[in-house]
Amino acid sequence: MKDETMSQQTAPRAPEARRRLPDEIGVIVALAVMMTVIGVARPRFLNPLNLLTILGHTTFLGMLAVGMVFLLAIREIDLSVGWIFNFSAVFTALLMVAHIDPWICAVAGVIFGAGLGLLNGVLVTTLRLPAIIVTLGTFSMFQGLSLVVNNSRAVVPPGQDSSYFNAISAKLFGVLPVPAVVFLVLAVAMHLVLHRSRFGYRVQAVGSNPEAAELAGISNAMVRLQTLVLMGAICGLSGAMYVGFRGAIDPNEGSDFVLMVVAAVIIGGTPLSGGAGTVIGAVIGTLIIQVISSGLIFFGIDATWSTFVTGAVIVLAVSLDQIVKYQRTRRARRARPSG
Amino acid sequence: MAARSAPHPTPLIEVRGLAKRYGGVVALDNMNLAVERGTIHAVVGENGAGKSTLMKALAGAVRPDSGTILLDGQAIAIDSPNAARKRGIGIVYQELSLFPQRSVLANLFVNREPTRGGFVSVAAMEARSRDLLDQLGLHVDVHAPVSRLSIGEQQLVELCRVLLEDPRLLILDEPNSALNKRETERLFTVLQRLRARGNTMLYVSHRLEEVFAISDRVTITRNGRDVLTKDRTALTIPEVIEGMIGVQHDVLFPPPLPHRAGQAGARIAVENLSNDTLRDISFTARAGEVVGLAGLEGSGVSNLLAVLFGTEAARSGRVTYPDARGLPKHPAEAARRGVCLVPADRRRNGLMLDKSILFNISQVAVGAGRGGSPWFSQSRALERANRQIAALRIKARSPYSLANELSGGNQQKVVIGKWLEIGPRVFLLDDPTRGVDVGAKREIYGLIRQMSADGGIVLFSSTELPELIGLCDRILVLYQGRLAGELSGAQLDSRTLLHLINTAELPSARDSGPEFAVPGAIGVPEGRP
Repeated sequence: MKDETMSQQTAPRAPEARRRLPDEIGVIVALAVMMTVIGVARPRFLNPLNLLTILGHTTFLGMLAVGMVFLLAIREIDLSVGWIFNFSAVFTALLMVAHIDPWICAVAGVIFGAGLGLLNGVLVTTLRLPAIIVTLGTFSMFQGLSLVVNNSRAVVPPGQDSSYFNAISAKLFGVLPVPAVVFLVLAVAMHLVLHRSRFGYRVQAVGSNPEAAELAGISNAMVRLQTLVLMGAICGLSGAMYVGFRGAIDPNEGSDFVLMVVAAVIIGGTPLSGGAGTVIGAVIGTLIIQVISSGLIFFGIDATWSTFVTGAVIVLAVSLDQIVKYQRTRRARRARPSG
Repeated sequence: MAARSAPHPTPLIEVRGLAKRYGGVVALDNMNLAVERGTIHAVVGENGAGKSTLMKALAGAVRPDSGTILLDGQAIAIDSPNAARKRGIGIVYQELSLFPQRSVLANLFVNREPTRGGFVSVAAMEARSRDLLDQLGLHVDVHAPVSRLSIGEQQLVELCRVLLEDPRLLILDEPNSALNKRETERLFTVLQRLRARGNTMLYVSHRLEEVFAISDRVTITRNGRDVLTKDRTALTIPEVIEGMIGVQHDVLFPPPLPHRAGQAGARIAVENLSNDTLRDISFTARAGEVVGLAGLEGSGVSNLLAVLFGTEAARSGRVTYPDARGLPKHPAEAARRGVCLVPADRRRNGLMLDKSILFNISQVAVGAGRGGSPWFSQSRALERANRQIAALRIKARSPYSLANELSGGNQQKVVIGKWLEIGPRVFLLDDPTRGVDVGAKREIYGLIRQMSADGGIVLFSSTELPELIGLCDRILVLYQGRLAGELSGAQLDSRTLLHLINTAELPSARDSGPEFAVPGAIGVPEGRP
């Protein structure tokens, strides 16, 4: 018995790669196929300028999706993200209207978003309620407060030739929009946080088995709180950059974010059962949603169809998730030694 | 009893040579049983003796590997719970299987609701259940959700549901584990009334006093076999205990290891600890010692460990740990102070089943620590996993195998390994060998010895007496939340222990009274093996 154990140990399988990559490769292939099909039919679609526009459009929503991965990974969901985004953007813009340095306003916006996330987190942990319930309430609270402070009108900050606005609307190497760069950097950073930090480890542990995590000394409440604050901060960052990029914040911007954000994360392959997540998948998922809606336009189909198609893609992605999970449990049952 | 069964010379149900293996674990090994009509037949045995598997086989929940079951002298196959029901075999399991949010009536007629014109007829349900509910003395609002009833009443609802099927054989698998004394008495009255009506019952329990109060015949089981079947009147409690214990397998237990020097001073002192379950518990445990905790389900053993680990609150009392501080407020603090808990239900409370061994071994080292690097190093996690796989001889294809793919024993080793990574000083082990095969048990015993030899303070609870006797230097017995007694040295033998667990009859160790006084003495205690 001992010999057998030893010989098995000396030949370890290829790490992680074997298990995790296929998920993301799946969505990457899906995205590539989709772009190829559209590109063959409408070559103009593959024009780099068009692709960069698509990337630019996804940025603000995509950042939220990156944060939402952490929430789904702890078996929670934050419905209020769209309004944290909006409220933070309005807050940032109003500070700019008050002639505070735009850079300071932007930082304040991020902190403000984190504060709204903290409010969600405190409610979730003290009331011991699922985040979906709490954020259903704060969804409307943040929307209402945002509408109160902006008088239901777009907020347009002055001095849009200042360094902040120039920096955000600049293009790196003359092509890459700065928000897209920030988005990609954030995605890489959050990918590392999820898989290589202790916080990320705890997120996965709590999502996988909250009771076992608690008994291993991982405070579920603390992880929930931290995750919701992180989510809020990312919404704040997205909102602050949005003001710099568009030069204004509409009262309803962000109202339809949450469904698309969750859709992107699910399409990307983050399991609904929690315990795991893929930031890269979420980025690809966001791109897939954006490619669908742009692609439909290129085919001359009415843009209103994109909502339906996005929904259909979600159903497809969830079905695939379920099939994969089913096969995994079957494989696990077969692999378990008897005795 | 014999007179009652005279008109039917063949037993109602008979089991011959039943065997069942789960992988390497033998649950049933040549089990025989004959239940006569109109009797209450008790089946007793220690954990793992095969009682529950036998009942499940009769109820169609488990398929035996070999052997025959005869009903009215005819061999039958019971290959599903439905088949058992059709043959007239009803079972009340230890765990309630009610729908808490639904009404009593809805629960009584699950899946066979009487209908009138296509609609479920509440009136018909009431009419059909009224008599039986009266007989059972269950006077509750039948339209209220079951969750509003007491556990005892719920148990009676469950019993009533099974009785509505009018079974020829009623099986009760530890039906009163959740009942208080009054509820148990009520249950027994019902059972006696049923027997008077001519019903036949199989009653499984390890509470011997109750078995003697209710049953006509007793079958003692051990290691998957029937050891002895006799009329209850021809048996005494000591005889039954003798039969349940049998010969011990001393080889399972490795000898104590030599202690390392310099650690002997550490100790944990518990003084007058009380909470909702525990009453005034005091003891000390020293480094290098294995202290056993024994007691029936609900006696407070698990609660005591939970309090010491910081998952359950204490109302009063003082506990001093080796670091001279008091009770940890939560598991995170316990983990940081080197107090570890190996939970009884490892799949629910110990492991992330969809994660790798590597991930699970890092649970405490990465999850619980405060300060240090904010990063989770894959290479250090791999080091940890490989270290524990080698040290604990965890059988797995690789450190990346999922916890779910491991056998029970190897899963338990992963749980132990995750704690060994932080070098704990206090080990709280809550029934660590539950559902583990014999080979892995032996290895876990070795690990426990090692923990103690390395200067750890080990509190070890178990439901298996030979384990406690074979491993522990001292055994504390809890009974209804209080410390019923402490056994050590020459007192450590199964009969004394089983008596103390079941009856709380030995004087507590703190009393100055006679150290050894068993009413209806059960012979000279054996020395430690």
